[in-house]
Amino acid sequence: MSLIDLIMDIITFFCIYAIITLSLNFQQGYTGIFNLGLYFPIIVGAIITAYLPGRLAMIVYGIDSKLDFSANNAVVVSILRSKLSSDPLMSVLLLAITLAVVALTCYVLGFLSAYPALKLPADYLALFMLCASESLRVIGMQTDWLAGGVMGITIINPFWWLGGFSYYGMSVFTILATVCIILLYQRMCDSPLGRLLKSIRENELTAESVGKNVNGIKRTTLAFSFMILGLAGVLHAFMMGAVVVGGYTRVDFSFWPWLMMIIGGTGNNIGVFLGTFGLVIMRRIMIVGKHYFWFLPFNVVWFEPILLAIMLMITLVFRPEGILPEKSPSIKDYVRRVLKLES
Amino acid sequence: MIPLPILLTALVYSFILSLLAMGFTLQYITLSVPNLAYATIAFASTYLTLTFSLMGLTPYITMPFAFILGGAISFMLYKFVSFLRDRGTSIVGLMMATIVFDLIIYAGMNIYADYLATVFKIYAGSFSLSEFDFKIFSLPAVLFVSGITSISLVAFFTLMLVKTKFGVAMRAVMENYSLASVHGINTEQILSIAWFFVGGLAGLSGSLYPIWFAMDPWVGARMFISIFAACVVGGLRSIYGSLLGGFIIAFSEVVVTYLISIYFPWVWAYRSVTSMVIAAVALIEMPSGIAGLIQKFRGGR
Amino acid sequence: MVSQTLSVGQNLSSKESRPLLIIDNVSKRFGSFYALQNISLTVPEKSIVLLIGPNGSGKTTLINCISGVYKPDDGKIFFNGKDITGMPVHDVVKTGLVRSFQVPAPFKRLNVAENLLVCGQNNPGEGFLGSLNRQRWRFFEKGQVERMFKVLKTIGLEDKVDTLAGELSGGQLKLLELGRLLMMNPRMMLLDEPIGGVNPVLANKILSHIIDIRNEFGTSFMIVEHRLDIVMKYVDYVYVLSKGNLIASGTPTDIVERKELYDVYLA
Ligand SMILES: Nc1ncnc2c1ncn2[C@@H]1O[C@H](COP(=O)(O)OP(=O)(O)OP(=O)(O)O)[C@@H](O)[C@H]1O
Ligand SMILES: [Mg+2]
Repeated sequence: MSLIDLIMDIITFFCIYAIITLSLNFQQGYTGIFNLGLYFPIIVGAIITAYLPGRLAMIVYGIDSKLDFSANNAVVVSILRSKLSSDPLMSVLLLAITLAVVALTCYVLGFLSAYPALKLPADYLALFMLCASESLRVIGMQTDWLAGGVMGITIINPFWWLGGFSYYGMSVFTILATVCIILLYQRMCDSPLGRLLKSIRENELTAESVGKNVNGIKRTTLAFSFMILGLAGVLHAFMMGAVVVGGYTRVDFSFWPWLMMIIGGTGNNIGVFLGTFGLVIMRRIMIVGKHYFWFLPFNVVWFEPILLAIMLMITLVFRPEGILPEKSPSIKDYVRRVLKLES
Repeated sequence: MIPLPILLTALVYSFILSLLAMGFTLQYITLSVPNLAYATIAFASTYLTLTFSLMGLTPYITMPFAFILGGAISFMLYKFVSFLRDRGTSIVGLMMATIVFDLIIYAGMNIYADYLATVFKIYAGSFSLSEFDFKIFSLPAVLFVSGITSISLVAFFTLMLVKTKFGVAMRAVMENYSLASVHGINTEQILSIAWFFVGGLAGLSGSLYPIWFAMDPWVGARMFISIFAACVVGGLRSIYGSLLGGFIIAFSEVVVTYLISIYFPWVWAYRSVTSMVIAAVALIEMPSGIAGLIQKFRGGR
Repeated sequence: MVSQTLSVGQNLSSKESRPLLIIDNVSKRFGSFYALQNISLTVPEKSIVLLIGPNGSGKTTLINCISGVYKPDDGKIFFNGKDITGMPVHDVVKTGLVRSFQVPAPFKRLNVAENLLVCGQNNPGEGFLGSLNRQRWRFFEKGQVERMFKVLKTIGLEDKVDTLAGELSGGQLKLLELGRLLMMNPRMMLLDEPIGGVNPVLANKILSHIIDIRNEFGTSFMIVEHRLDIVMKYVDYVYVLSKGNLIASGTPTDIVERKELYDVYLA
């Protein structure tokens, strides 16, 4: 792997994790919704990405109806590659449609899942979400026509028309999308909305008693972060060029983000951002450098969860509030920085 | 009619699942922390069973060792969680602490599987040990072993709760943790023993699992859904409810899914999702579970 | 100064104005235990009503029923001509009826300023989409900040504006409870022991401020308070609860004269 590829790999990987951890922070750090099933919408995003754009392209280009995108995956993808390579407009359109469909689907799913989930006490809500995500993973693995089942499926790249640079095209798009999402979260959290969400986290009854529709707001929070997480799933799938639903595990797509958030500082977006950055670099370097450990009688990737566990343990014992703990702005600061007023 | 193998599967599965569901509920009641590592603790001992079988011994010899292994891990987890709890860590932090253990055990299992693979030249990622089992009255021995184990353990546990001083103290702790410690009950000691016992239960039932079922490193994660569903159906905070919940979930996952799959064959592959569906419906329709139903029935009379 | 406001208070005698809050035959059970039994009372517009009773007599339970925390098992509650029985808490607030908590319930990890600012109603910056349009909510927030400083002055917490609520003392938390309600500009406030643990000088100041608010904005009050020595001279009307029953009502002078009520209180 060349240095530029390694850097690109780390940055895009970081981008996807940044979206996930900021969405987690929005739910847990701000609103206090204890959700261990972050990967539910991510899997939804990945499955739709595996299912929809390839088939849409087949219809558009009138490809032989005896071929199936899933069953004849390799053949179909190579045909689509030749078509899409010379059709940038259709490529970008497919990307846009996928993003829109996933955003809408995940928003609705988040909204609906709130009805049973918000009835539960915090700990059982976490378990409910975790089990729902795990079930979705099982469904994805068992259903061949959806996303290739256990073996997975190869998907299109919306930047094939860039020729040799198609991989970088997707990376740059991911980076741009991530920047937009980060700005979106930052703007929401810095506004009266951020304060409102934190008040719900602190005391739901008091928030109700000052006229806030706590359940409604929590439902929207859940739906909104589902939507963003779904988009992370789309970006991840397109980056990988393939979808293997079995790969969306609770360790990689829930526990790691949780660690990143807790180490960085729950409730503080900048801390969470830094935590994500540090851990992503560490993980990627471990994965890339694993062939230096050939002498061990086992695969060195198993050190990764142990490392994760040890860091989580140290953080919980010595610095439960994280590296950059949450801080309330002083009123002077708020008036000057956020309201941009002098007084 | 339901074929014998399906019925046997359902029975063995329900013995194992109901023990696990009961253990999970017991741990939840005592510390008010759902133990996310519970299923993984249970299935760690499957690798003990595999090792003994590979050495040419009967898999059942694992049982005492599995009990000790599961108990020891669970005991350490209790110590860690209660240490954090005394420092005022929130419920989120405590559940993260159980995740710490889940990850370490999970990685340890995989490292050990790699190691077995190099030593015995087998693929230890997934395996089934049913060929090492023997027959009693032309039925697999694991049916009797799991049945007798789970019934006698539940009987033993019930007797202990009702008859012994330890049991009385434990009921007091489960009822009201802070009140019990005010009354001079050594809660620390009681909970340590309880968690050891419950971890042992998990290890024991896990060690029997591969003698009937196919095992892979993800069984823990999948089985966790079933355990959760059993506890939800049982009523979240009721030990005997979760025992019943275990049977209900096991039979619906195996027998009910089988009956549906006669007409819709594709359903069979989604067995483990059945329990999640049941859990979701139960949470919405009867959030207090079987325990709640029984209470209502009693109250109504 | 106190006597002057008092005379203003008595001019608005309860019979002249129409009832704002009507509690009609309300009962509330916990299991088989009646915490409230057939309570009927009214609070006229622009009046200050005191609710007293020994510990456990059901005062807080009544406030919880009115504010929507509990649904009464029986009876109806009307506010401003509207049936609010069993309405969700946040919808009751929208009708202009707000309450404070006996045991202070602040947003602990927010500072005092945030605790107060979050109480603004219909803040355009609190919507998921609205929050993105900073121009739109900035000026609303500016107004809120100004209002907040006025409230802080009233409750005497100006120097605590940047302190986390979790670090305030018990008395200061009581003041913050009141401050939250003052931020909301309601038609009526239900105050559950608003001056518990507050020193008498500040307590008198707060109560006379309540009179000022009533006179200026026509806000009504229902106050639960044990410190009768301080609070009696500020109120228009008194209701007495005992064991979930309404046992007496009258003007402060009437109630003070009825010696048998002292026995109830001491029991
Ligand atoms: N959620 C509840 N569940 C069961 N019983 C309750 C509940 N809330 C209140 N009670 C009971 O109802 C009765 C009235 O309580 P309440 O808090 O209304 O009294 P109070 O008049 O406010 O007393 P205090 O002066 O101590 O504040 C008490 O006996 C209390 O134990
Ligand atoms: Mg009270």
